[in-house]
Amino acid sequence: MEELIIELKKQIIEVLNLEDVQPEDIENDAPLFGEGLGLDSIDALELIVMMEKVYGIKIKDPSAGKEIFKSINTMADFVSKNRTK
Amino acid sequence: MEAQHSEWKGTTGGTPWMQKSLVYALAWLPLPFVYCGMAIFVVPFYMLFNHQGYLSQYHFFRQRLSRSPLRAFFDVYLNHCRFGQIILDRFAFYGGRRFKLIVEGNERFMAMTHEPHGFMQLGAHVGNFELAGYMLTQDRKPINALVFSGETGTVMENRTRVFQHQNLRLILTGNGMDHIFELNRALADGEIVSMHGDRVFGSQKTVVARVLDAPAKLPLGPYLLAATREVPVFCTFVMKETTNTYHIFVRLLEINAEETTTVRQRAAALAQAFADNLSEIVCRYPHQWLNYYEFWQHE
Repeated sequence: MEELIIELKKQIIEVLNLEDVQPEDIENDAPLFGEGLGLDSIDALELIVMMEKVYGIKIKDPSAGKEIFKSINTMADFVSKNRTK
Repeated sequence: MEAQHSEWKGTTGGTPWMQKSLVYALAWLPLPFVYCGMAIFVVPFYMLFNHQGYLSQYHFFRQRLSRSPLRAFFDVYLNHCRFGQIILDRFAFYGGRRFKLIVEGNERFMAMTHEPHGFMQLGAHVGNFELAGYMLTQDRKPINALVFSGETGTVMENRTRVFQHQNLRLILTGNGMDHIFELNRALADGEIVSMHGDRVFGSQKTVVARVLDAPAKLPLGPYLLAATREVPVFCTFVMKETTNTYHIFVRLLEINAEETTTVRQRAAALAQAFADNLSEIVCRYPHQWLNYYEFWQHE
């Protein structure tokens, strides 16, 4: 799981072009949207497509998506259980 | 620019009673008669009291189109008249009136509805983009139109009523992320997504493109959506020509694939391609530029 968490952090930094952020700057339990990393709906779009392309996970339900993208930990948990790639 | 823009509420003016009355009256009143009344009694009032809107249009004619001060003042008046006519046409349409259409470049759009992949259609706050949704219809692919969730009840009721017989679904923008999931799903399922590509709303992330040869902030969302999902993008402009005629321009946005290797580069190239088409249309129909705020960045 720890490897997946680091991989996810690197993916997020690359996909969202967060030039000034290092993987260790992102706390595993901190909210990704609003406070915390401060992402918004446009970033959500890139995360949705990243989940599809990198892990083969299609997220169509908005309420499920909100839960998945709560933090790095929730993302990692969902990816580990549902990835097809 | 963003501070002024954030004050715009994105709703059609007037009380619900006024809007409902307009829908009924415009179904039978002669439009030239209503246009004249508006030009004499309503437009001067708006020019006097909507100072921010007046100034932004004046700057548009002076700085972007190099008009003299007197000519720019007269152009702002004509612009307000056109804006009023376009709003009245929309209510007339809700009341059952139909307009003659001249459609240019729709062949590629229609051909693409036979393809399995989804694609996007972007409009701008010029002319009467909403009429494209009502009048450019096809039954092969559902169209998902992103609309502002704060629009007035009368407008939303009429939109829903007119759209219910068409292959068109309204997706409401909000402060959350729900609409992003909906738009992504629609494109992944091979459907069409329709939205505006010129005005920043919701997310404040922008992409700078040159519109009429000056830098302007366009919303990043539409272009990033197209770039991440790798779908074609059309721009559609519905421009008023005479009382009963609209000219619809449909164009596929072309970008150089070799020069755009990353998603962000593709998004920026799409935004510039859209801006180029928009600039050409605005030069041709300057009185149908309907962004009543300071659109351009100061260079």
